[in-house]
Amino acid sequence: MRADRRRVSLWVGAWIVGAASPAHAAFGFDDLMRTLAQRRSGEAKFVEQRFVAVLDQTLTYTGTLSYTAPDKLARHTLTPRPESFVVEGNQLTLQRGQRVRRLALDSVPELAAMVEAMRGTMSGDGSALQRYFKPTVQGAASRWTLTLVPLDFRLLGVVRLLRIDGHQSDVRVVELQLADGDRSVLTIDPISSKTRP
Amino acid sequence: MTRRTIITLALWLGALAACAAVIVHTRFSADLSAFLPAAPDARQRALIEQLKSGVAARTLLIGIRGGDAAQRAAASRALADRMRAEAAFEQVLNGDFAAYAAVGRWVVEHRYQISPAVSTERFSADGLREAIDDTLSLLGTPAAASVKPLLERDPTGEVQRIAEGALSGGGPRTRDGVWVSRDGQRALLMALSRAAGADLDAQAHALQTIRDAFAAQATPGLVLELSGAPKFAVDSREQIRSETKTLAITGTIMMGGLLLVTFASLRALAAAVLPVASGIVAGVATVSLVFGGVHGMTLGFGTTLIGEAVDYAIYYLIQARGGAAGGPHADEPGWRRWLHEGWPTVRLGVLTSVCGFLALAFSGFPGLAQLGVFSVAGLIAAALTTRFVLPLALPNGTPGVGLRRHLGHWADRLVQVTPRARHWFTALGIAAALVLLWRHDRLWESELSSLSPLSAEALALDAELRAQLLSGDERTLVAVMGPDLEAVLQRVEAVSARLDALVQQGRLSGYEAITRWLPSQATQQRRRAALPDAATLRANLAAATAGGSLSAKRLEPFIDDVQHARAAAPISAATLAQTPVAPITAALLVQGSDGQATALLPLVQPAGADGDALHAALEQALRDIDGAHVLSVGDELRRLYRHYLGEAQGQALFGALGVVLLMGCWLRSLPRLLAVCKPLLLAVLLTMAGFALAGVALGILHLVGLLLVVAVGSNYSLFMDWLRHQQSTDEDTLASLLLANITIVLSFGLIALSHIPALSAIGRVVAPGALLALLTSAAYASASARPRAAPMVKVPSERA
Repeated sequence: MRADRRRVSLWVGAWIVGAASPAHAAFGFDDLMRTLAQRRSGEAKFVEQRFVAVLDQTLTYTGTLSYTAPDKLARHTLTPRPESFVVEGNQLTLQRGQRVRRLALDSVPELAAMVEAMRGTMSGDGSALQRYFKPTVQGAASRWTLTLVPLDFRLLGVVRLLRIDGHQSDVRVVELQLADGDRSVLTIDPISSKTRP
Repeated sequence: MTRRTIITLALWLGALAACAAVIVHTRFSADLSAFLPAAPDARQRALIEQLKSGVAARTLLIGIRGGDAAQRAAASRALADRMRAEAAFEQVLNGDFAAYAAVGRWVVEHRYQISPAVSTERFSADGLREAIDDTLSLLGTPAAASVKPLLERDPTGEVQRIAEGALSGGGPRTRDGVWVSRDGQRALLMALSRAAGADLDAQAHALQTIRDAFAAQATPGLVLELSGAPKFAVDSREQIRSETKTLAITGTIMMGGLLLVTFASLRALAAAVLPVASGIVAGVATVSLVFGGVHGMTLGFGTTLIGEAVDYAIYYLIQARGGAAGGPHADEPGWRRWLHEGWPTVRLGVLTSVCGFLALAFSGFPGLAQLGVFSVAGLIAAALTTRFVLPLALPNGTPGVGLRRHLGHWADRLVQVTPRARHWFTALGIAAALVLLWRHDRLWESELSSLSPLSAEALALDAELRAQLLSGDERTLVAVMGPDLEAVLQRVEAVSARLDALVQQGRLSGYEAITRWLPSQATQQRRRAALPDAATLRANLAAATAGGSLSAKRLEPFIDDVQHARAAAPISAATLAQTPVAPITAALLVQGSDGQATALLPLVQPAGADGDALHAALEQALRDIDGAHVLSVGDELRRLYRHYLGEAQGQALFGALGVVLLMGCWLRSLPRLLAVCKPLLLAVLLTMAGFALAGVALGILHLVGLLLVVAVGSNYSLFMDWLRHQQSTDEDTLASLLLANITIVLSFGLIALSHIPALSAIGRVVAPGALLALLTSAAYASASARPRAAPMVKVPSERA
């Protein structure tokens, strides 16, 4: 019951936030998407910190992220242990140690939404983001924050919101807030990127 | 009435009554099993067994179209809820994972027995550390929702490991919590009916339950789509029922009209019906006795028997006409004279037909064997009725004149005109043989579907739903056999290890295996032995979590669960059957009718995979595992079909040889035998060449049709030979041949229009084939008579 009420208040909150942002803002969602769509490919190092209530310590992961337009996204974790997460189109390949798993992304919609949050942001695919999230943009092209609140109540039961900070077409920080209060912060340090001429 | 009459009538009526008694207790089936051959080798047997009675025969595929996505999702949930409340369904799947809660609880409870990761190393300090790190790496991500509640009981993530294996490959697309097609335009459900696939009444009831459940909740604009083997079986039974009825009624009216116009006598008409009806009754009863049941298609074929059986009546009715011809028996009553003159030829015709169809009775296809037995019994009964009962009803044939005189005229003309075209026929025959030689590689159909009574649209819908629901290629699977269940399970584990390697290489997306739920006892024993006692585990855990983020003292529930698992009773096939997992495993381990267990491992191929290459890779990977077979259902069925087509061709040739031998024994003259065979050969060649030129590949049922052409045609050709031999031009005999031919061409022409492919195939061969047989028989009628220069054909007006 409490979770439901929280969910509802989140919904309402998200709606108010969305409605409150002025439609004629200098830098809006469409502007951001246009900026992001310039990117053809990119590679970056990342550091992810996870803050989990039940654990005594913060979990830290490092590795590389790469994106190739239009739809390939790869996350290779290097420490503490190698692991990879590669998505291309509707196909997701997970590898941990010697074990490889392949999944159709659309058979697990919650996963599809999370992938789209990253991939849609990387590629500036506004309609993909809007399919799963209510997006809100704050700031300016030089420093913007994109907030994504899940539309699907099932996903909302797990993920409260994603907050993505960036600079021009670079994504810098992805913060994921889970419904149970745990969160993770992914800090991205670009190595290279290619944009449309 | 003489005593003989009474005895004859009593025997006939008694036989009919006995047949009727058998028919009343007959089970009529219309499932697809009659079109599945009794397989020759073990792996094909496993396949056929699976197709006949396995889960495939009970699986219904359901689609909901129209409306918007939310309406379809709501309809899917509502339909699934209603169906789950019905006893008719063992399992209803629509992608709503809430329905899997019970399975989830079972998995959690048995995780140390079924997790592939359980080993001695895993419970060492290092192994535990690694496993716990794996699990912790999911925390702080959306996946944590499924890990967190179990963290303290299952820190090594065995449940995750089990789920990883079970959720392999593609899977249907999920939207709004239910399965949808990849394009999102259709909600998808899958149901397993409780009743056996062959229990068509129960299947029909299950289908109706779904329709009612859908109608009760459906939003206007939503459309229900149903497919799957049970639906096909029920539909084809319905189609066969209605078509058989239509064919029987139309055929009867047509024949009745024709005979009435010809004979202008109701009595003659009634008499003509007797052999036909007796034949059908005897045929059905015999099939029922021999096979323990009658397939709907056999009944459908019964209507075709009208064509040949009515001929016997026609021959009798016309040829036994009183005082028709001169000759040694002219002063006897018509029936007695017919016994001397017409009957021997009819009898020979019956014997040749029986000979031809007897070959079919030994077919490996139950459907064909039934056709063979049905025809043999039916033709014998029809002939006996003609021989013994008709003389009692109409001792002098039919009294009426009607069109008969005209028929005689036309038949005479035919016999006069066609011999002039004899060389043309010969030339055509040679041309036909050349056409057949030229097209010999494309002459025969290689698809089993040619035997299927299903329409192309139904198959297309099924393929579509199947592709969406069963992801990838469910038509490739590995079957594993062994002397006993434990051996089978151990072999499945060996196979799984090889398949895992293929999955790692990306050649396979995934597979399912019974051992994920029911490991062999050896494996369960090994896993149990790997679980440490509480003290050891506690010590290892302390070492493993030292300096980590999860402290060992929170993991006491884990230690308890492991100790509990050490004492748990092993999972057996019997205990598994009582669990919520049973519906999932039903498809993976099938108990054959011989009591032998076969495990089936359905494979999920990556999108766009090369099926042949995968098949080869699988064969290579599994070659040294005893009892493991790679099956490609399509290929295997095609192979089986080819095998049986070959067998049927052999049987047909054997039957034809029997026909020739019989005629040879009767005629005792090689030239006469050749003269009789030539028209038959020509008719068959010309018919086959016609099909080849039209681009229609011949299937087993076309072959049955050709056999019928030979059977029917041998009557024409034998009568022509008899007339020639008698130096006679009995106009009545000619008239009866012409009339018999018209009835056969009409009745098989009618069947050619049937919507059931199997029936129309027979019709399309026999109608033109029989006509050709009459023409060629007439064309060569005077061949051997010519040297004697006797006028073969007298001017008919003398006797009119």
